[in-house]
Order: sequence, then structure tokens, then C-alpha cells
Amino acid sequence: MRQPAADTGERRRIGILPREQGAGSLDLVIGVMAFLAALALGGVLIANRSAETWQAGLAGRLTVQILPQGQAAPEKEVGAALKLLRSTPGVVFAGPLSDADNLALVEPWLGRDAVISALPFPTLIDVRLAPGATPDIAGLERQLKAASPHAVLDDHRRWIGRLRNTANTVVLSAFAILALIALATAATVAFATRAGLAAHREIVELLHLMGAKDRFIARAFEWHYFLAALIAGVCGAALAVAAFLGAGSLDQFGFASVSFLPPLGLPLSELPWLAAVPVGASIIAWATARASVIAALHELY
Amino acid sequence: MVRFENVGMRYGAGPEVLRDVSFALDPGSFTFLTGPSGAGKSTLLKLVFMAERPSRGLISLFGRDLAILRRADLPALRRRLGVVFQEFRLLDHLSAFDNVALPLRLAGNRPGDYLRDVEELLSWVGLGERMHHKPATLSGGEQQRVAIARAVVAKPDLLLADEPTGNVDPDMGERLIRLFVELNRFGTTVMIATHDRALIESTRAREIRLIDGRLIEMRGSA
Repeated sequence: MRQPAADTGERRRIGILPREQGAGSLDLVIGVMAFLAALALGGVLIANRSAETWQAGLAGRLTVQILPQGQAAPEKEVGAALKLLRSTPGVVFAGPLSDADNLALVEPWLGRDAVISALPFPTLIDVRLAPGATPDIAGLERQLKAASPHAVLDDHRRWIGRLRNTANTVVLSAFAILALIALATAATVAFATRAGLAAHREIVELLHLMGAKDRFIARAFEWHYFLAALIAGVCGAALAVAAFLGAGSLDQFGFASVSFLPPLGLPLSELPWLAAVPVGASIIAWATARASVIAALHELY
Repeated sequence: MVRFENVGMRYGAGPEVLRDVSFALDPGSFTFLTGPSGAGKSTLLKLVFMAERPSRGLISLFGRDLAILRRADLPALRRRLGVVFQEFRLLDHLSAFDNVALPLRLAGNRPGDYLRDVEELLSWVGLGERMHHKPATLSGGEQQRVAIARAVVAKPDLLLADEPTGNVDPDMGERLIRLFVELNRFGTTVMIATHDRALIESTRAREIRLIDGRLIEMRGSA
């Protein structure tokens, strides 16, 4: 008499639920959320990469400044400092920066005005250490002072520490924004699912009374919202990818990048990370839809 | 098959809609449930098809006490029932065909397995030409026939129908009752709630009557 119960038919879910009214605005909200989440995630990646680049650029390097006396640093002191540095164990290179290098350094702040060249500049000596070398900085500083009284040694430790703190703050903030957006997306999807469930209460009740298992009804809803969130999430993330690609190629359109700020674009190798956004959005949609439907069904007989 | 013992039912804090109702439906029986409007016929049917729980008393279905049944066991039990709801309860976004096929889909059948059965049944109830129409484009009587076809398509062990001939002309009513009788002949237990005296008199089936929430045995089965 009875039809055999099997799961094959239960897997056919197409058409059990109609596309509800107002679903377009839900898709739009999820799409916008996904866009913002992808931007935040891109921000995390940029901040992380910049922090690493800054640190890698400064680690293993020292800078010695010979302060100017009058218009220029005393040649004698520069020579003595260079001699001392080049004879220090662990130092692989020590050389003064040219005037052009000095001008390039102050250019972002002071511009390229001719008056700049008239300013007194310290002589900067770039010192590169062998990988893994740990010279006695305090000892070196004392020796430098003896050889060259106007020399100042900077091992960038404070600068690296500050950079690290700043970068960590930026990374953490971006993560916090990401978490908030994920929370808002989950709440939106949960709310929409409950609204959808209310609109389809008649169908849910009927299927329930006809002997549909909870997981069959839940599946109809969860796939419905999974797919909606996936499509909207892909659109949002694609927009973010376009935004990052656009920002990355601004200089090609004549917008000069600012040398001391990290590049705003994401390299191609990092773009696949943004795919995590639609995947995450659809998983959140799937899980909240499932939980909401199962909870609502348990309120029925 | 179905057993009610001293069943009482009230909605919330309202008055009792059913009082001390006791009866049994034997397997393969055919029973009419009659009574004036508001006497509790629909409520009694809802208790049988597990849309409501009784306020007191004992209900057993297929030999199982509903009060102690696990939730996970309910779907299998519900699939043994066919229900014609008074308000039809068709899914508006599905065609007549898909509405009728729904119980077979839920039971795990593939479309290829039931295509012919569903088409045949829809032709039998006079909807062969309109099987791909959605409920909104069907008349009340046509919707009722879709609801009946849906209730009987899986050849349920127990068929419950709430005013199944309320919207159809006498000829179609007779045709539908023949469908129920035929189904009953093949073993389905049938309980029909109705006002329609002509329908009741057309068979010599048992009649139980609800008056003010109390059940009275009117006529035993022939």
C-alpha cells in the first residue's frame, strides 16, 4: 500500500519553494555585504603584506647620520665612520647616500623645489649586515662617537617596533571589521530566512503534515539561501576584485602613488583569497537557514 | 487502525470543542463523520492526522499511542495517511500534476515511476486536460478534485476527507465517492466528514455523528 520511503526523491527539491517576493533586495544586501567583507579582507592582506615588507626592508640594516656642521657634514668624520663601519665584523656594505638619494627621501614631504638643494643635509651612511649578523650596537655606537663625534647610529629598532604596532593595529581593525560584517551578514540572512519561512508557513506545514522529514524541508530552504548567498557573494567579491585591480593600476592612468604608503592594489597571487568571501557567505546562509527552519519545525506537532 | 479514548480538545483557554470522544475505526472500514457546522468534525480529523494534540484522552493510530511516539517516527506514520483538507491546501506555485505527485515525491519515487499513474488519476477526476494548470486558474470544484487526487495517489492506509464533495456537482460527487469506495475495496480505511446526506445515503457505510463535541453512533457498518 505504502510507497517505499527512500532518499532519492527527497533529494529532488527543485520547485518545492517558490521564489519569494522581495528576494531581490536580500540578494542586493548580501552582495553589498560580500563586497564590504572582500574590501576588509583585502585590507587585512594589504596591511599584513606592508608590515612584512617594511620590516624585511629595514631588518639587517643600520643607518648612520653624520650631522652637518654649517652647510655640510665634515668629510673627515664621514671618512672615519666609513672606515670603522667597513672594518666591523658582520657589515657587508657601508656607503654614503648620494645627494640625489637624499633629495628623493625628502621629496614626498618637501617637494622638488630648487630651494631644497640649498638646505643643510646630514650625510647618511647605509649599512647592510650579513644575514643573521648581530653586531654589538652599543659598542659600535661608542666607537662611532669616538671616531666621528657628530655621528648618530640608528638601528631602526624603534621604527620597526612602531611599524609593527601600527601594522598589527591595522590588521586587527580589518579583522574586526571583517567579523562585524560577517555577523551582520549572518543576522541578515537569518532574518530573511525567518521572514521567508513565515511567508511559506503554509507550505512548510503542509509538507510537514504530508510526512516530509524535517531535514527534507530544511534542505529546501538551506539550498535556496545557500545558492542565493553564493551568487550574491560572488557578485560582491567580483566587484571588490575589480576595485582592487583598479586601485592597483591607478599609476598607469597618471595617478602617482605615494611612496611611503603601501600600494592599494592586490597582486594577482592574493586575489584568490577573496573567494573566501562568497564561500563564507553561503556557508553562513546555509547554516542559519538550517537552524531557523529546524527550530520553526520543532514548534509544530 | 484508529482509536480514541475519552478524548477532549480545547483551543487555548476556550471551551471544549470535543468532549469524551471515544470510537475506533477498524482496518478496511468506511465511516462517515457527520454533524452540524461547528460540532467539531474538522477538529476530530485534525487530531487523527496529527495537526493538533488532544487536551486529554488517548489517541492511537496504527496501533501506536500518539502521546508517547517519538518525533522522528511521525513522518513515516503521516505518509500512511491521505488527507483531503476542507480548504484544499494546494501549493499555488505547482501545477495540478505536481501537486498530485507531491506525496509520491516525498515518498522517494522518481518522476518516471509515477508519471502514468498521476496522469491516469487526473483523467479519472476529469482534469486530464488541465493537469498542467496552476491552482489559481482552476475552479473551486477542480481544485477540490486535485486535492482528492493528491490524497489518494499514494494509496494510503487511511484516507481522511473533510467535506470532499462540497464544491462539486452531484454527478462529480458520485464519481468521487466511487473513487473512495474503490480505494476502500483495496484495503484503505476511509473516514469522510460531510454534511451531504445524499452522499451518506449512497453507501451503507457506518455513520458517527458529532453534536456539541460529543460523539453518537448513528449507524453501524453494513
